[in-house]
Amino acid sequence: MRLFAAKILNGITLLGLGGVLISFCLKGRIDQYLHPQFRPLVLIGGIAFCVAGTIYLMAKKSMNCCLDGECVHTNRQNPWRAAAAFGVIVLPLTAGTYLSKDGYDKQVVLNRGFVQDVSKLPARNSIGSPNAQQGVPPGALGADQDERASAEPPLPQNTSSAAPPKALAKASEPPQTSGKVDDGSEQYLPRAADGNVALEVTDLLYGESEESLRKEFTGKTIEVVGQYLPGSKPNEFKIVRMLIVCCAADARPIAVPVQAEKTVSAADMSWVKVIGIAEFQESGGGKAKVIFKAAEIEPTDPPQDAMLY
Amino acid sequence: MSWFSFSWQNFWFSYLALAFEGLPFVLVGALVSGVIAAFVPSRTITRFLPKNHLLANLMSGLLGLIFPVCECGIVPVVRRLLDKGLPFSCGVTYMLASPIVNPLVILSTYAAFRGQAPEWNTAIRLLSGYFVAVLVGLSVIKVNPARVLRIGSGRAALRRSVLSIASLPEAGPDNSSATFVQRLIAAVQLASEDFIDTAIYFMIGAAVAAVFNTAVDQKVILPLANNIFLSTASMMGFSAILTLCSTSDAFIAVTFVSFPIVARMAFLVFGPMFDLKLFFLYSVLFRKRFVVLLGVGLFVLIGIVSAVILPQVYAFVRG
Repeated sequence: MRLFAAKILNGITLLGLGGVLISFCLKGRIDQYLHPQFRPLVLIGGIAFCVAGTIYLMAKKSMNCCLDGECVHTNRQNPWRAAAAFGVIVLPLTAGTYLSKDGYDKQVVLNRGFVQDVSKLPARNSIGSPNAQQGVPPGALGADQDERASAEPPLPQNTSSAAPPKALAKASEPPQTSGKVDDGSEQYLPRAADGNVALEVTDLLYGESEESLRKEFTGKTIEVVGQYLPGSKPNEFKIVRMLIVCCAADARPIAVPVQAEKTVSAADMSWVKVIGIAEFQESGGGKAKVIFKAAEIEPTDPPQDAMLY
Repeated sequence: MSWFSFSWQNFWFSYLALAFEGLPFVLVGALVSGVIAAFVPSRTITRFLPKNHLLANLMSGLLGLIFPVCECGIVPVVRRLLDKGLPFSCGVTYMLASPIVNPLVILSTYAAFRGQAPEWNTAIRLLSGYFVAVLVGLSVIKVNPARVLRIGSGRAALRRSVLSIASLPEAGPDNSSATFVQRLIAAVQLASEDFIDTAIYFMIGAAVAAVFNTAVDQKVILPLANNIFLSTASMMGFSAILTLCSTSDAFIAVTFVSFPIVARMAFLVFGPMFDLKLFFLYSVLFRKRFVVLLGVGLFVLIGIVSAVILPQVYAFVRG
């Protein structure tokens, strides 16, 4: 009876675990948690857990468990331990399925601090990467060669898919409309539906250390999507994105400071689309500090991949 | 701002991310364990290893190249190998070395250090990990497994401390006459039980790590970077708290640009051998006292290697 109860509980644990993993994959929620390279493993793992759970429940013991009949599995005949396993493995995952908001709040950003020099990050694949909503080959801009970045074509950017936004703040017309630029960058600079150059926060930060990027970005009307974090003044704030290497647990905040002409109010960590121009102030050693001068700030939906890689 | 600020939203997000990333690897480890249990005859491992303790430990440190299991899945594999006749000291060496000396980690470390002498940094990480693992393995040769293994773990290894290896019989008669399908089903059953045993501790470790990852202000930790000993110690502590997978931790390590390279190397050697998650996972196999001693010993040993020896190595490499 004890063996039977333990077997049932262990089988349910495996099936429940598999169910949670498959559920996150089918609903697309896994995209918020893991780097794309790890996502297939979750689906495969979920299926494997379900198969293992089914076999575990259905099959009879076909051979001795362990050497000389001495089982190393402490929960094999102990229903209480099997119940504890269910409680520690499946219950928290199930609770997390319902309680997780699939994102961090402001406190994590403050606790982790902003990455100061984004050019040193290993995941230098924002521009032109398959994941990013961008399409500027670094080589075309004279930047360092990056095999990962240039190996695959970019996906079309999707920041324009947001619902019709309500403007939070609007200043005068941008100094230069992007459609009139004729410097060859039309071929590779990614565009939003309204013709603005659509960049990521990482692109602007890479511009701090790469003069060729600064030249390309300066003077153009740029559109950036990120999460709002208030600044020290009413008209200043940061556009924040979280950059992950493997999973959301290692996410590190990166941010671009923004100056608007009027007071801006939005909920902390809410998603905003900011349209304006990037100004780079030289800081010596061929580097610069970027400040984004906002002309328009609109609430928007989160992008499909809320994390950058 | 307080140094500790807990939020359920952040906890659930980090906890689930760690679980989703790690559980498939725990499963891989459990499957390898199940396959070894069902298909590898008991004496194969002992036949494969040299009789000489030193040579056996040196070879055990390279087993990760054959059984490439990261630290999330290593415990069930080691437990199984101990039951299949792997000497205790060799099991410890393999357990510590495998998360570093394996093909996936070699590739990921090389990729992470791209543009920063990747061949040297990868080689130094591998050799440091191998050296430390073998040294710790050799240091426990005289340890009686009965005093450190938990009841039910590595019983065969325990018996080998009393009996000669050759006297140990093969597994029971059912095993020798089992068909392939029976063995396959048994492998799945054993893997399932190994997985559940291990996953309990993994999930507890992931929960603790999620609290540290999200609730603790990391600015409290970072100012330690200026002193080589403090930076090395703090990076090892940081790796223990972050509980990253060894297949991906190099990508995190290279981002700590304010820390010297030797401190980052300590991060890359200590983390795969001992972190919060592993503290709980090792508790499946060893008694708590041994786990604590192992953690302290590794901290001191890797600290000395990183802060004293590696600066000389890097100086030599840089000419």
